[in-house]
Formats: sequence, C-alpha cells, structure tokens
Amino acid sequence: MNPRRIRFLIRKEFLQLRRDPTLIRIALMMPIVQLILMGYVVAADVTSLPTAVVDLDRTTVSRRLAADLGSSGYFDITRRPGAESDLRALFDGNVVKVAVVIPEGTTAALTRGEQPSIGVIVDGTDNVSASVGPGYALQAIARFNSDRAAAMGLDLSAAPGLDARIRVQFNPTLSTVNTMIPALIAALMLISMGVIMSQAVVKERESGTLEQLFVTPIRPAEYVVGKVTPYVVLASAQAAVVALLGMVWFRVPFNGSVLVVAAGLALFMLVSVGTGLLVSLVSRTRAQAQQTVLFVMLPSMILSGFIFPVASMPVPFQVVSRFIPLTHILVVLRGAFVKDSGFGDLAMSFAWLAGFAVLIFGAAVAATHRRIAE
Amino acid sequence: MIASGPAAPATSVSVRGLTKSFGHVTAVRGIDLEVRAGEIFGFLGPNGSGKTTTIRMLTGALRPTSGSVEVLGTDVVRHPDRIRCRIGYMSQRFSLFEDLTVDENLRFYGGVYGLDAATFAERREYILRMAGLTDRVGELARNLSVGWRQRLALGTASIHRPELLFLDEPTSGVDPVARRRFWDLLTDLSEGGVTLFVTTHYMEEAINCTRLAFMNRGRVIADGSPREIRDSLAEPGGPAPSLEEAFVALTTRTGRR
Amino acid sequence: MNSTGRLGAVVRKEFLHIARDPRTLVLVLAIPIVQLVLFGFAVSFDVSSVRTLVIDQDGTPASRDYLAAYEGSGFFTVVGTGDELSDVDDAFHAGTADAAVIVPAGFARTLARGQKAAVSILVDGSDTNSARVAEAMATALNSLADQRIAVSWADANGIDTQAGQLTAQSRTWYNPDRISSLFLIPGLMVVIVMIVTVQQTAVTLVRERDLGTAEQLRISPLRQTELMVGKLIPWTVLGLADATLIAVLGMIGFGLPLRGDPWTLGAGAALFVCCALGLGLLISALAPSAETANILGIMVAFLPGFLLSGFAFPLEIVPPALQWLSCLFPARYMVTISRGVFLKGAGFETLWPQLVQLGAYAVVVLALATLLYARRQR
Repeated sequence: MNPRRIRFLIRKEFLQLRRDPTLIRIALMMPIVQLILMGYVVAADVTSLPTAVVDLDRTTVSRRLAADLGSSGYFDITRRPGAESDLRALFDGNVVKVAVVIPEGTTAALTRGEQPSIGVIVDGTDNVSASVGPGYALQAIARFNSDRAAAMGLDLSAAPGLDARIRVQFNPTLSTVNTMIPALIAALMLISMGVIMSQAVVKERESGTLEQLFVTPIRPAEYVVGKVTPYVVLASAQAAVVALLGMVWFRVPFNGSVLVVAAGLALFMLVSVGTGLLVSLVSRTRAQAQQTVLFVMLPSMILSGFIFPVASMPVPFQVVSRFIPLTHILVVLRGAFVKDSGFGDLAMSFAWLAGFAVLIFGAAVAATHRRIAE
Repeated sequence: MIASGPAAPATSVSVRGLTKSFGHVTAVRGIDLEVRAGEIFGFLGPNGSGKTTTIRMLTGALRPTSGSVEVLGTDVVRHPDRIRCRIGYMSQRFSLFEDLTVDENLRFYGGVYGLDAATFAERREYILRMAGLTDRVGELARNLSVGWRQRLALGTASIHRPELLFLDEPTSGVDPVARRRFWDLLTDLSEGGVTLFVTTHYMEEAINCTRLAFMNRGRVIADGSPREIRDSLAEPGGPAPSLEEAFVALTTRTGRR
Repeated sequence: MNSTGRLGAVVRKEFLHIARDPRTLVLVLAIPIVQLVLFGFAVSFDVSSVRTLVIDQDGTPASRDYLAAYEGSGFFTVVGTGDELSDVDDAFHAGTADAAVIVPAGFARTLARGQKAAVSILVDGSDTNSARVAEAMATALNSLADQRIAVSWADANGIDTQAGQLTAQSRTWYNPDRISSLFLIPGLMVVIVMIVTVQQTAVTLVRERDLGTAEQLRISPLRQTELMVGKLIPWTVLGLADATLIAVLGMIGFGLPLRGDPWTLGAGAALFVCCALGLGLLISALAPSAETANILGIMVAFLPGFLLSGFAFPLEIVPPALQWLSCLFPARYMVTISRGVFLKGAGFETLWPQLVQLGAYAVVVLALATLLYARRQR
C-alpha cells in the first residue's frame, strides 16, 4: 500500500462527491427527513385520541365522568352524539377512534351500591387506538372511582393491602423517541453506505473509469481503501448529526459510555461497507444497484426491531432477525443510550456484530479483490 | 417508387427567413433553403452550427421563432401533424429500443405508423433484406454491431415509405466499410424516388450529394452542387480546392463559434 | 390513421421493456409478496407476554400466593428468580428480562398487622411498547390483589364494602381480536400501488427522453398524449394487479374480510391510480435525468407512502404540520377508503368525502403535469 496513491484516490473521490449534486442532496436530506419522520411519526406517543361520548345518563355524575376522561390527556372529546346508533357513521367516516357510552341509569345504579358498567368502544382498524384505548379508559375510571369513594367518606384505609410501587427504569417518561433516535443512527449508516457508496462505485464502472484505473499502478487494496474512506467520513458525519440533533432537538438522554457506542458503530461500519461493496459487485447499472439495495434493506428495516418490536414477532421471524446485523447494533445502541449497558452486558451482541463484520466485510473485500485482479 | 398520396411537388422543402432563439441565444439566424424533389441534399457545418436545430424545425418537432417552413407543400409551422406520415427521421443516436429485438423494433414503428398487416409484412421483408438482418430478427438491438444498428435505424425510419427522409449525421461512429454500404442504401432509396436531407461531417460523403448547403454560426454561408461550391472558391486561374479545403476555408472565413 | 393501433404499439412495446428487465419484474411482483409476508406474519405491536424476573425476599405462603398471580395472569412470564436488587440491574442490562417483581422481607408480617405491604415492580423502559403495556397490566393486577385483601379483611370485620363501583366493558369494533395483519393489509395494498406506479412511471418517461427515442417519436404520427397513455397503461395494469394480488392473498391467507361495497373500493382505486400516475408524470416533467427521477420517486412515493399514509402509524397523533403534509399525498385518502370498505363495511355514503378528495387531487395533479409537459416542449 502506498499512502500517497491512496491520498490521491481519496481526494479524487471527494472531488467527485462534491460535483455530484444529486448524491450530496440525498446525503444531506436523508438524515433530516428521516429524523423528522421517525421522530414525529413513528415515535409518536398517544396523546389525544379523537373520542365520542354518548351520555345517555345526563346527570352531574355522568358529566363528571366525561370530564375526567377528557382531562386524562389521552382522549380528545370531539363529538357528543345523542344516541349510540350515531356512532357507526362516526367510526366508518374515521371521525373518531374511541367512543364511550354512559348508559341511562348509571348514576342511579351507583347510588344503589351496584357495579354498573359503561361501554368503551375502540376502532379495531387502528392498532394504536385499539391497543391503548381501553387501558387508558380504565385508568381514568379507576381515578373516578377512588375520587368518588373518597368524597363519600368510605374509609378502607385501616384495611391491610398492597402498596405497589411501579417504576419504569431507564426511560421513565416512556417516550418512544428516546429509543428511536439511537436506532436511526445505525439505520442511516446502513443506508448511506448501501445506497450512496454502491451508487458511486457502479457509476465508476458505468463510465469506464474503473478499467482505466486498473492499468495504472494502483493496487486493488489501495483502491478499496481510497474508495471507502470518504464515505466512511460521510457516514460518520451523518451519525454525529443525527445523534446531536436527537439530543438537542428531541432531548434524547445519553446515559451510556461513548466507548461502547463507538465500538459498536465501528463494527457496524464494516458490515455496512461490506454490504455496499457487495451490492455494487452484483449490479451493472445504478438503477439495478438501487433496486438491489431496496430488496436487502426492506426486510432489514422491518425485522430488526427498528420500528416493529422483535418480541412481538412469531418465533420463526425472531430467529430470522438474529441473522440481521442491524438487530444487534440496535441492541447495543439502545442499551448504551438508554440503559448505560457496558461491554459485559452486551457481549453477546458484540460477538454477533464481530462475526458479521468479519464475514460480510471479508467476503466483500475478497470479492472486490478477485474482480479487480481478473 | 413514388409514394402514395398527392403527387409530389417539384419542391420538397422550402424555407424562408427561418430563425430560432433559445432565450437570448440565437441558434438559427434567418436562413433560406430550397430542396427539390428527388435530391440528395447535403447539409454541412461544424458542430454547434445549428444543423440539428434546423432539422428539428423542418420535421415539426420544434417551433421556429420566426420564418416560414413548407415541407411537401404543407406549412409545417401551422400543421406539423399533416406531414408526419410522409416524412421519416433518423437521428445520430439511432434511437433504437436497445432491449427490444430487431423484429420488435420494426413491429413497434409499424404500429406507430399504422401499417396494416400485409403492408407491414412486405416492408419488414424488404427492410430485413436491405439491411442484411434477415438472420438476426430475434437479436436484441443492444447486441448488434454499430453498422447493423445503423441500418436497422434506417429501416425503422423508412418503414412507412416516406417521400422525404431526414438523416442527422447518420454515419457518425461507423467504420468506413459500413459507411460505404450505408451510402449504397441511400442511393437506392434516392433512385426509388425518396428525397434525402442528410447532415454529415464526412466530405467524401458530401461528394455523393446532388446539392450541398454549408452552415456556420446559424447562417447558410454557401450552397450549390459540390462542383459549384468548389469552383466558387477557386483562386482565379488556379485549381478548384477539394471539398475538405472548401469546408475549412468557408468555416474559417466566417469564424468559429 | 387509427389511434388505437398506435396506442397498442406503445403498450406492447412497454410490456416488452418490462419483460426484458427481470429485476424490475422481480421488484414489481416479488416485493409485494415479501411485504405481505413480513407485514402479515411478522409485524405486530401486540405484546403477548412480558419476561419477568421475580425476587421473593419474604419466602412465605402469602408472598408466594401474591407472586402466583403473575404466573396466572398469562401475561407475565416468569423467566427467572433472583435474590437481590442487583440481579434486576444485570437482567435489564443484558436484556434478559423486561420486568421484575420484588417482594421485600416482612411482606406477610406487615399484612398480618393490618398494614399496607410494599412491593416493587420495575419495568425496563427501553422498549417503550412492552413497557407501556407491562405498566398498565401491573397496575391492574395489583389493584385487583389489593382489593381482594381489603375485601376479605372487611368481610372478616363485618364492614360493608358495597359502595357502587363503576366498571367498564370494552369492545373492539371491526377487528375484535385485534389481528394486526387485518389492519395492515388494506393499507399495504395502497402503499404498494403508490410505490410501483409513481416510481416506475416517473422513471420510464424520463428514460425515453434520455435514449433519444422520445425525439424520434415526436416526428412520427404518434401524439404526445398517445405516448403517455401508452406508457402509463402497463404500470396501471401492474399496479392494479399488485393490489388485487395482495387483496386476494390477504383474503385467502389471512382471512381479511371484504365487508363493504366493492364498487366504492374500485372507484377509489381507479381515482387513486390516476393520482399516483399524475405524481409520476409530475416528477418526470420536473426531473432532468432518470437518476433524479428515481430519487424523487423514492422521496415522493416511498417515505410518505409508508409513514404519512396512516398505513401503520396513525396520523391523528402526529404534529399538525406533518398532518398537513400528509394531505399532499394521495395515499392517506385511499388508506381510509380501503380500510373502510374491507373492515368497516362502509360504502359510498360514508366514504364520499375521500372519493371527492381523491378526484380533486387527480384533476389538479394531472392538470399540473400536463401544463408542465406542455411548457417543457417549447
């Protein structure tokens, strides 16, 4: 390896990168667009579900109950239809996601000491409302009950019971964005190396300059190093930007060790570079490279736990997700960002990552070497 | 071979004061041209002199800024659609669909020009024979050598028996043997009654033309038969220059872009 | 000169282009199936079990009884037992447990004295989805256990606990078992049609321009509109074929019901395809090269298709600025129609606003594209 030749290659690569406005635009736009969409759309936590309340009881008590639901913050009472039969149209037209029906005589039954029930209807075509709606409604009703019991002076405080202290560790506010942004760092690295670098390599092949280079004294290894370095720099810069914006704009806390994050990302960088090189080896044109990337990337994004939790997948898919490198770097990054996990805790994930790095990067370098040597 | 339709007028192309500006750049500056039926009209000029822009206006693909264009007796500026079935066009890029076979390319253009089955079969046979492609009907256009692609392009451009064929640098990038063969085909077409309007860089090709026009910097700077052009540039008493010399002299005299 | 013949020639040629490019074909036919499998089988937000570590420092029948409630809940899966708090830390850091229950020593004694016995439940918040559900389930389980203890004490002491208590009965409409695939598949159809049609029409028109064949065709009797329509028909057909494929596979393989009016769905799909083609045309009119068209196609079809259509992530809870942004892409209207017809059994009378929105969108975007194309010609 001749450092001078590598330096010239790197300089040439940077110059080309600078002259290619499309690539620059993707490189700049991608982190920002992804940050916004992931941070605000995918990581959106339920706050105010559009809700209809059908109050058939029409007493001060039923009105209090409705107000309690509204003030919980999870429900935004937008409609108050007069009859239950009106709900159908509201759900069909997507006007509301949740409905609460307070039957006639609820207050009277409560006064008699009975246990009347109100109806909570959720829209099963929307997974978020359907899965959290009933739970939040129960919480609001529990508060209503205890307030009412207290107001009636019923005293069970002398009774034995449980004092359950439920505490959420590491991410007490349960904001999804705190786990989404660390994951985005790795996902973007994979996309950057997979898309941008493979495009650059294929472009060189298309224009024939690759063959031109190989009649010069440049060695294959020098070529790989020179070609890859600028994109490693670019991807590192993107990772830094995402991490910084995430911490400043989305206020994502960083509790872990920089060393763990750096080690994990370094291994994953090798995996990403290897993926990019392999993609460019099997593609003749840039359009083909793009399609191949899409085909590789889509299952990675869906099965790695980036967006959809791995624990909720059927077992065969959980097994498949083990064999996706992104899965393991996500464990490392989320562990380090959110839980301050160290090398010892993450040993398993690091082992997987190291294995993938050796396998994929090694295969890519060997294949490139062979292609060039021929 | 006289094309069906109205009898061809004596003048195939008649252009008066043709001008085209793109923004503040004027590519063609008020040229006059006259092409008579049955001629092989050579349109010469250095790169960027306005040849391709002129051809695009003559074929109705581009609207002139000012001036009149009459092709086969039709006002092209006003009715570009009326001449489309009567003219053909072959560009320097050959414009073939590379991922289609020879046969599929022909079939597509046959469909575009609305040939009926019998006419198409006859034309297809003729073109394949003319271009020597009979054994290669199933081959992808991408896999043909340049000479074959060029002849296929000529075939697709003339599949509908146009009365007038525009050829924009049809021989660029083709080896001398294939070029000679291509010109034989053009001569055949001309003898069949087709008027040809050809742009070229190669002076040995220009000799084959019945009449020439030189264009430079958006203007026509000389026209006439090859003989007339050479004579007009001869030193008094001296020998007539070759066409190549005439071309260089004319271009230098009017300045390069 | 007959125009249908010319149109037919273009359509045939386009199909040949597609057939000659196996990668595109794979992309168009295989990706929908891969996505259907992934979204149908793999993707779910449902948390069915939480891996739980229990630490019983009391070791009495009362504490064992209390902890048995977790096992019996069918939701908490006890994956191990520990001795001290540091075991929880280790388990959370290594990611082997999602929650931990700690019963401190003296639990049974405190209860026997008639006092409130403290227990701790720790939830790992790094997986927000399961943490949220675990938190809610733990709350419910403990309040039930608490009530049981209080009521048995009150009964033993002859205190009347019959104060009225409000309860709730929840029902899930349209998808009572909350099967994720049922809610994802109708949206997935829309997303895939969007990706196939927008992206491919954008690229195919620009490619013709790049090859120079567009120029050749302008001189032929082929009209500009014939060329466009001819190039768009194959992608329309493929897009609708993809949609049908997913719908049929969804109905056969995943039991997706078609409850509503198929005509409303068909009308919506036709309008939606017009919108998507319009977007593709718009991109091809604006893009200087096939490469840029490709990237613009991804920008316009892929990300908004997945993220701003309401297909997997509800739009009601995103910031208003992004909600407005989502109105600029036709997918969100079609997702509502598709889900409405398939799952809600809705018809024209409830979904007409979305149909009108799609219609208006199609008119505007097609008019804009035609305008831009006309301007480009000059």
